[in-house]
Amino acid sequence: MIETGSFERMAAARAGLPGGAAWARRRERALKTLRARGLPDRRDENWKYLDHARVAAYPFESPPAGAARTAALPDSSLLPIEGARRIVLLDGRFDAALSNRLGTPGLDVVDLGALLERDPAAALELLRQPGDDADDRYALLADAFAAGGILIRVAEGRDIAEPLYLLHVASASEPAVQHSRVAIQAGANSRLTLVEHFVAAGDAAVLGNLAAEVTLAEGAAVTHLRLHQQGPAAAQVESWFARLAAHSRYDQHLMALGGGLLRSNLHVALEGRDASCRLDGLFLADGERQVDLLTRVDHLGAATKTVQDYRGIAAGRGRGALNGRIVVHATARGADASQSSRNLMLTPLAEINARPQLEIHVDDVQCRHGATIGTLDETQLFYLVSRGLDPAAARALLTYAFCQDLVSRVPLGPVRAAAQALIVAALPDGELARGPA
Amino acid sequence: MSPGELILEVRDLRVRAGERLILDGLSLAVRAGEVHAIMGPNGSGKSTLTGVLAGRPGYEVVSGSATYLGRDLFSLPPEERAREGLFLAFQYPVEIPGVNNVYLLKAALNAQRRHRGLPEVDAFEFLGLVKEKLAAMRMDEGLLNRGVNEGFSGGEKKRNEILQMSLLEPTLALLDETDSGLDIDALKVVAEGVNALRGPARATVLVTHYQRLLDHVVPDRVHVLAGGRIVRSGGRELALELERRGYDWLREGTAAA
Repeated sequence: MIETGSFERMAAARAGLPGGAAWARRRERALKTLRARGLPDRRDENWKYLDHARVAAYPFESPPAGAARTAALPDSSLLPIEGARRIVLLDGRFDAALSNRLGTPGLDVVDLGALLERDPAAALELLRQPGDDADDRYALLADAFAAGGILIRVAEGRDIAEPLYLLHVASASEPAVQHSRVAIQAGANSRLTLVEHFVAAGDAAVLGNLAAEVTLAEGAAVTHLRLHQQGPAAAQVESWFARLAAHSRYDQHLMALGGGLLRSNLHVALEGRDASCRLDGLFLADGERQVDLLTRVDHLGAATKTVQDYRGIAAGRGRGALNGRIVVHATARGADASQSSRNLMLTPLAEINARPQLEIHVDDVQCRHGATIGTLDETQLFYLVSRGLDPAAARALLTYAFCQDLVSRVPLGPVRAAAQALIVAALPDGELARGPA
Repeated sequence: MSPGELILEVRDLRVRAGERLILDGLSLAVRAGEVHAIMGPNGSGKSTLTGVLAGRPGYEVVSGSATYLGRDLFSLPPEERAREGLFLAFQYPVEIPGVNNVYLLKAALNAQRRHRGLPEVDAFEFLGLVKEKLAAMRMDEGLLNRGVNEGFSGGEKKRNEILQMSLLEPTLALLDETDSGLDIDALKVVAEGVNALRGPARATVLVTHYQRLLDHVVPDRVHVLAGGRIVRSGGRELALELERRGYDWLREGTAAA
């Protein structure tokens, strides 16, 4: 657990952050909350499954890693997305040299580190300060201590055809904690596909703490693909907040397939009439990995819609948790929400906690939810084995199959293929590595 | 293998599922080149027989033996029985969403080929072979790239079983009520698939409740299973008699015996 006193030391270690007096006040506000209430711990209902000691073992009080710039990105970590415009956040800061093809009409990419130096008042306006609730406090910390990040704006009516590839690279060679900030603003009736990819260039124990928001104006559509592919020493805490105006649509495909520990918070506010979201999530908690997901969707506008489909696999000593809450407010007449969480536990020492919660404050809505935790189906296993397949291969195949409808919905081939490869690599049998059809 | 050689010999087999003794002294000898039909009322142990021979979990062999090609069948794990040429066509083929049908076909064929020391099948050649079999089963090519049996109609599932069978060319095929739930056209296609595999080096055991499949696949031997054992054996005419008279007269016969 992180002691409240340590926030002073974190602040001291980051005394040189840009932003001037305006940001100093913002930081002081965050620190006041953090000092008084601390970061969430296992007494907080939504945080009780997280291994807090493991998070606290990362060096929160050390200064951010110096400008350890790598000359080039490891090719193997790059997704070959054709025509993609690449934005690289190296250790939480925008790296112009590694990024490319950003000059496009209607697309505005702003280096937040530079903006904090140049025009901190503008940054104050453009970035929302996270709230004080326990669920927001890591975001509050990231907002206060981020040295940089990226702001992406899509102009009204623009359809950005090529995907935007946001690559988070942890390059530190020493243990480090890196706070960063991302904001996406999609103008009215604009379209954007954003691929967020998390990789580590080294194998140092690096924790990334990301505070991010995406704002969709009326009629905007954002498709957001997220692939976690760090090594086992890496940890990630992230807080995404999505706000949707009328008739906008937000689709997210989360593929938590790497890293040693991931705590992912996603808060979606369906504010405008007819706003809708589809949330797909797949996690693989094998080895010693812990994946802890919190989702909250607020239905505020009338006729708002959510389809949430999460699948989790735990194996080895892996631990997975999904805390999924959907709140249909009194203003959300005609809302439609469905939530499904299916989980597979492959070994006795693995652990999965699935807590779907539905809270409804209005009549005239359609809501469904369900959560299952199970093992592989013995009838299916026998069927495969009776066709001559090895029992181990049959188990691997069924595990792979369990992910398939989620993976097949990932709209970009190279991302889908990368997810597929990570799943296959994690399966204990070589049969699949020879190439499932 | 030469015609007349023993493929399967079951002797005095007693099998329990849970508390219940289901097979109670069953004996059966199947020789190369033969088609046997096993008929019997519901609950007589027909599916238990095919299940225990294929290695389905949940059964306990209490006593007796099953010898397949000279080897103790029960000492082999189910995947090895399959690779050795035993095939079970399921009464209720399982849906496996996410496992591509063609992938399973290829994996099954390659498992068998590796076991026999043969190289894996060439992808191009394989597809040609599958398409040919598919046409013979009058199945839509689209079914190949669906999940295994996923969303298939009852008839499509049964045809898919026969498709797998015709690709794997088993030495011993066990068909568990493959005819149930089929309309007459599907029944004919399935029967053609079974007949196509008839040959001097193979054998088939058809388990069925009704005799109508036997109009299309003419058996060499017909057995009546009741109370966990074979109570009567005969030729094709026995099936016709069963159709006419039902099973009750045989039950009485057993009780009297």
